[in-house]
Amino acid sequence: MDASVVEIATGVQRGELTAEQATSRALAQIARHNAELGAFLHVAREEALEQARAVDAKRARGEALGPMAGVPVAIKDAICTRGVVSTAGSKVLKGYVPPYDATVIERLRAADAVVVGKTNMDEFAMGSSNENSAFGPAKNPWDVARTPGGSSGGSAAAVAARMAPCALGSDTGGSIRQPASHTGTVGIKPTYGRVSRYGLIAFASSLDQIGPLATDVRGAARLLSVIAGHDPRDSTSLTAAVEPLDSACERAVAGLRVGVPEEYFAEGLDADVAASVRAAIDGLKDAGCAVKPVKLPHTRFAVATYYVLATAEASSNLARFDGVRYGLRVDPKHELRAMYGATRDAGFGAEVKRRILLGTFVLSAGYYDAYYAKAQRVRTLIRRDFDEAFRSVDVICSPASPTPAFRLGEKSGDPLAMYLSDIYTLPASLGGVPAMTVPCAPTKTGLPVGLQIVARPLDEATMLAVAAAWEARSPARDLVPPLAAS
Amino acid sequence: MPGGNIDRKLVLHVAKLASLSLSEAEVDRFAGELARIVGYVEQLEQVNTRDVPPTAHVQLARLPLRPDEVRPCLAREEALAAAPQVDADGFAVPTFVE
Repeated sequence: MDASVVEIATGVQRGELTAEQATSRALAQIARHNAELGAFLHVAREEALEQARAVDAKRARGEALGPMAGVPVAIKDAICTRGVVSTAGSKVLKGYVPPYDATVIERLRAADAVVVGKTNMDEFAMGSSNENSAFGPAKNPWDVARTPGGSSGGSAAAVAARMAPCALGSDTGGSIRQPASHTGTVGIKPTYGRVSRYGLIAFASSLDQIGPLATDVRGAARLLSVIAGHDPRDSTSLTAAVEPLDSACERAVAGLRVGVPEEYFAEGLDADVAASVRAAIDGLKDAGCAVKPVKLPHTRFAVATYYVLATAEASSNLARFDGVRYGLRVDPKHELRAMYGATRDAGFGAEVKRRILLGTFVLSAGYYDAYYAKAQRVRTLIRRDFDEAFRSVDVICSPASPTPAFRLGEKSGDPLAMYLSDIYTLPASLGGVPAMTVPCAPTKTGLPVGLQIVARPLDEATMLAVAAAWEARSPARDLVPPLAAS
Repeated sequence: MPGGNIDRKLVLHVAKLASLSLSEAEVDRFAGELARIVGYVEQLEQVNTRDVPPTAHVQLARLPLRPDEVRPCLAREEALAAAPQVDADGFAVPTFVE
């Protein structure tokens, strides 16, 4: 299962490989490693094979195949799939089968992709380690004693272990980029509004974006080109045209200006990670880019700003889980208010409750102005930092995460320490700008490190060009975890 | 700022607003954890935000309205299929008015 997204799609389009063969290989790799890795919560074996045969039948009829022809895709469990269980990693949605497909799933099917299953995640995407999943954590294929990151940890583990060449995740404050960084995969958070959120089980609506993870930059670009674009069913979906992203990966980068924010190389950054990311930036200089310092002075307030705004939005979004229309119901006294309270106490895990309480608090009478309204104003300053920096550079490069993957249990007892690990991914989320991670040189102990590339709103094309230029030189290129290679 | 003093009483008040029935142990635990998190968040006080407008969303341009057209929606059976309890073609809930 070493073939990339583009190799599989091209092979299936040309008839050198069938969709059923590609799907069977993915399913075999899943069967071999999922018990150990916990990457998938649900494997849609029969549905996947049926879908693959339908793609092969379409080709046999002489019809043209789509850009994801026969490509196995793993789907984060927060994305609704018609007829296939979707839990968002929560006990409150255990066994929930959505009656409709998310827009991204419709687009994948129309592009002849094959959905192989639903991946593990922190409950409602709240977490940075996958340890908040109600169904047990996913593990990192590079070291199963470590977390794959989160919240899209299952998607990242699945791609790293070559159970699928690509996956969909969702990113609210780094939930695609950080796990991609920790597993040696490529992950993209598109511009806010680029990809429809219709059918994504909501966490924080002003920040949530669906995006791709893949084994290489071209695979992530191909997947993004299929899911991006306007959707009238999502009122925040942008109408701007999507540039051809395959060819963006071939663009020359000589002369592009790369900004390096010194605020991202501050206290708390692991020395191995810093060295690896600096080497990647030097690599871009060798490729002809001009490297220059930029300032993002409000970076240090991003964690506080994010954990006010995201929890406020979450407390409102998660009000819908009340035991009435779907999911768990606990009704000890046959009384409505008691049913709401008992259902939500039994259905939500500790981190979700903590965030609902924090979000309700910052929105409550007497505290709203001091916390919520204040954080909204600081968010404006964080956005202005990016506007200012992008006057003089085309992309901004930094680490994606201050450390490599941490051990299971290392931070799970300290919520604030876990939040602080999101420092490098949160600003781009708050700014709504596109950002992605690409593997750079591993640490001395062989753990993956990710380079984060941030671009102007809607300029995914330039971001991908820089990513592809670095990937071509990266010592991490084609590295596969020993576990998956065996 | 008034929020540093998060205690059991405040947690119980917020839990009620959020329709969360917490155990005694949870109330104790969350009071301690939230006090620490809110204490951290209070660093936002240091930022001068005078004359800075709030950002509620990052949308680049005004978004178009969807055409007001009748379109198909979920069938009743599909909408009810995942409900914990169904009665008379609707979502059944405990009695809440006398």
